[in-house]
Amino acid sequence: MATVLVTDDAAFMRMQLKDILTKQGHEVVGEASNGQEAIDMYSELQPELVTMDITMPEVDGVAAVKEIKKINPDATVIMCSAMGQQGMVIEAIQAGAKDFIVKPFTSERIEEALAKAL
Amino acid sequence: METNQYIEVFLDESREHLQAVNDHLLELEKQPEDTSIVGEIFRSAHTLKGMAATMGFEDISSLTHKMENVLDLIRNDQLVVTTELIDITFNCLETLEEMVESIAEGGDGKKDVSDLVNQLEAIEKGEQPASKESENSSNTVETVTALEVDEYQKTVMDQAKEQGFQSFQVTVTLNEDCMLKQARVFMVFEVLEDLGEVIKTVPSVEELEEEQFDHHFSVLLLTKEEAEEIRSKVMKISEIKQVDLSPFSDRKIEKQENNQKEGTQKEKTQPEKSENNKQQSQKKQAQSKSIRVNIERIDRLMNLFEEVVIDRGRLEDISRKIGHNELIETVEHMSRVSKDMQNMMLTMRMVPIEQVFNRFPRMIRGLAKDLDKKIELEISGAETELDRTVIDEIGDPLVHLIRNSVDHGIESPQERSAKGKPEEGHLQLTAYHNGNHVYIEIEDDGAGINREKVESKAIKNGILTEEEAEKLTDEEVYPLIFSSGFSTAEQVSDISGRGVGLDVVKNTIESLGGQIFITSTPDQGSKFTIQLPLTLSILSAMLVNVQKETYAIPLSFIEETVMLKNDEKMFVNGQAVMDFRGKVVPLVSIQTIFEVPQNIEQNDKQDEAVVVVKKGDKLTGLVVDNFMGQKEVVLKSLGNYFKDVFAISGATILGDGSISLIIDPNALMKG
Repeated sequence: MATVLVTDDAAFMRMQLKDILTKQGHEVVGEASNGQEAIDMYSELQPELVTMDITMPEVDGVAAVKEIKKINPDATVIMCSAMGQQGMVIEAIQAGAKDFIVKPFTSERIEEALAKAL
Repeated sequence: METNQYIEVFLDESREHLQAVNDHLLELEKQPEDTSIVGEIFRSAHTLKGMAATMGFEDISSLTHKMENVLDLIRNDQLVVTTELIDITFNCLETLEEMVESIAEGGDGKKDVSDLVNQLEAIEKGEQPASKESENSSNTVETVTALEVDEYQKTVMDQAKEQGFQSFQVTVTLNEDCMLKQARVFMVFEVLEDLGEVIKTVPSVEELEEEQFDHHFSVLLLTKEEAEEIRSKVMKISEIKQVDLSPFSDRKIEKQENNQKEGTQKEKTQPEKSENNKQQSQKKQAQSKSIRVNIERIDRLMNLFEEVVIDRGRLEDISRKIGHNELIETVEHMSRVSKDMQNMMLTMRMVPIEQVFNRFPRMIRGLAKDLDKKIELEISGAETELDRTVIDEIGDPLVHLIRNSVDHGIESPQERSAKGKPEEGHLQLTAYHNGNHVYIEIEDDGAGINREKVESKAIKNGILTEEEAEKLTDEEVYPLIFSSGFSTAEQVSDISGRGVGLDVVKNTIESLGGQIFITSTPDQGSKFTIQLPLTLSILSAMLVNVQKETYAIPLSFIEETVMLKNDEKMFVNGQAVMDFRGKVVPLVSIQTIFEVPQNIEQNDKQDEAVVVVKKGDKLTGLVVDNFMGQKEVVLKSLGNYFKDVFAISGATILGDGSISLIIDPNALMKG
C-alpha cells in the first residue's frame, strides 16, 4: 500500500479523498492546500503518490507538477480535475502527471487510477 | 467551493441541452421524417445522461438512458416518429426540467420516473432484438472500414516494413463514463508515440480533439514492439475499456472490397455525418469565445461604475470652473471613454429575450392540446436584448398574459368558424426596441375583451359605480382587468382565471419601472403592450430648476420641452391647460406639487418653461422655472425610511455634490 500526499484547496475535497484512500488501505501522509505547500511537503515527506487539484491559489496544480518533477523525475502524480479543464489536464500530463481523475470522483475510479499508476 | 462551481456548470449545460431538445422536438414534429433532428436530440440526451450520472443524479440518467434507446431506434429507421412518441418525449423533457430545477434550488433532483421509463420501454421493446444485432454488426463494420490508407501512407508503410517495423491497427475503446475524452486520447497517443509511429487515425486528429467520437477510435501504428506489449501499455492508462490489435495488411483492404455492400452504405451516411460534425465544430468555436461571469460580479462592477459616473459629473463641473484647457480636454476625453465603458457594461448585462420566449412554443402546444384549441404562435424580435434582471422577472408575467390570451382570448375552433374566422387562432409575440424602452407585445385574434362583463364585474366588486361606468371610455374600462380579484371568464379553468394574476402581472411590470397597455376590439382580438426601461440604474435625465432646487426628469418620459407664453396658458374647469400641437394638455406646477418655498423674487416672467411628459397616449405639461440641460444620473433609492414618496422615484448626486430628486412622471399624469 502506498503513502499519499493529498493536494486540494477545498478541505471538503481533501477529506473526501482521504476517506476513500484510507478505506482502500493507503496511508495519507500529508495534506496540502495549495501547490506551494504540495511542493514543500513533497520534498519533506517523499510520498509514493501525490494527488493534485488543478485550480488552487498561490501555485496551481500544473505548475506544482512541474516543480515536483524537477525534485524527482519519477514522482507519481495524479491530477484531480473538474470538467472543462481539458487543456490544463493535457498540460499537466505533458509535464509528467501519470493520470487524471475527474470530479466528482468515485471510489472505483480512484482505485483504478492508483492501481495503474503504481 | 469546487463542487459548487461544478454544479453550476452542470445546471447551465443541462438547461442548454434541455432547451436544445425542446427546440428540436418541435422541429421534429413538423418534419417527422428528418432523422438528423433525432440525431441532435440523441446527442443532447446522451450528454445529459453522462453529466447526470457523474453527478449522481440517477433518476435523470436512467430516464435519459431510456430516451436515448428509443431515439436510437428512430435514428436507425427502426421506429417511426408518431405524435404519441413526441408527446411522451415531451413529458420526459418536462420531468427532466423539473428535476434539474429542483437541483438548482438545492434539492436532490429525485423524482419517480418509473412510469415514463415503462412507457419508453414499451416503445423500445417493439423491435429491440433486431436493433441490438444490427448495432453490433455496424460497429464492427465501422472499425474495419475505418482504416483506409492512401498512396503516401502505403509507401510509408512499405518502407517501414523493410526496416523491420510492423503495422498494427489499434482500436481503443474508452469506458462509457469517461470524462474529458480529449485528455484521455492524448494520454493514449503519448503512449503509442513512445512505442512507434502513428500514421493514421480514425476519426481524424481534429475530430478526436473536439471529442467528435463515441467511445472508440482507431489508429494505424508502425512499431517494432510486440502486440501484447502495446496492449498492456495502453491498458495501463485509466478509463480504457478495451484495446484491440490486429496486424494491418493489404489483405484487409481487399476484404474491405468484399464488404462493399456495407461500405457503400457507410459512404452514404458519412458525408452527412461529417457535415454535421463541421457544423458542430463551428458551433463549438463560437461557444468558446464567450465566458461565463457571475452576475454578481457584473453588478458589483456596475455599482463601482456608478460611483465613477458621479465623480465624472463632479470633474466636469470643476474643470469648467477652473477653465484650464488641458484639464478640460482630459476630462472631456475621460467622459467620452467612460460613456463607452458605460455602454459596454450595460450590454454585458443584456441578454436576448429569446431565453424567455423559448419556452412559449411548447407551452402553447400544451395549452392548445389541453383546451382543444388550434393555435399558431408567431414570435418575432426574439433577439431583442434586455437587462438581465428584467429578463429574470418578466417571464412569469408573460406566461400569465399568454395563458390569459389562449384561455380567454382565443375561441374554440367551432366558435371561430361560426364567427367566420379561420379555425386556427393566431398569437403574435413581438419584442422590439424603441428609444430608451423595450416593448413586448402579445396580440391575439380572439374574442377581445367584453366591455359589459368587465363593467358589471367592476361594479359588483365595488371598484366602479354604475354612473361612473357609463362615462368611461373603452380604454379606461379595459385596464380594470388588472385590479385584484378580477376574472371575467365564466368558467374557472385550470389554465388561468382564478382572478389572482393580472394584478400581480401589473405590479411586477410596474416594479420594473414599466407600464402595460391594452387595446382590444370585440371579435377581432386584444393586444397587451408592455413597455420596459432598457436599464434600471443609470438614466439620462433632464435637469430642471424650481426655485433654488434642482429636479431630474427621466428623459424617457419626456416628449418635448416648450417655452410657454403667458397668453397661451388657458383654464378649463379651473385646471390650467395648454395647447400642444392641437391637443389640450393639462399643466402641473412642480412648485405647487412639491411645495417648494418661494425664495426667488418673481420678476414678471413672460415665458414659462414646460416639460411635456408622456405616458401611453396621455400627455402632461410639468411647469418648471428653468431648464438646466441633459445629464446622465445614477438612480439611488431613498432608502427604507422614505418608501412611497409621492412622485419621486429616487435621488441622485450631481456634479457639484448637491442632491437632486428624480421625479416619477407616472404619478403626475392628469386626465
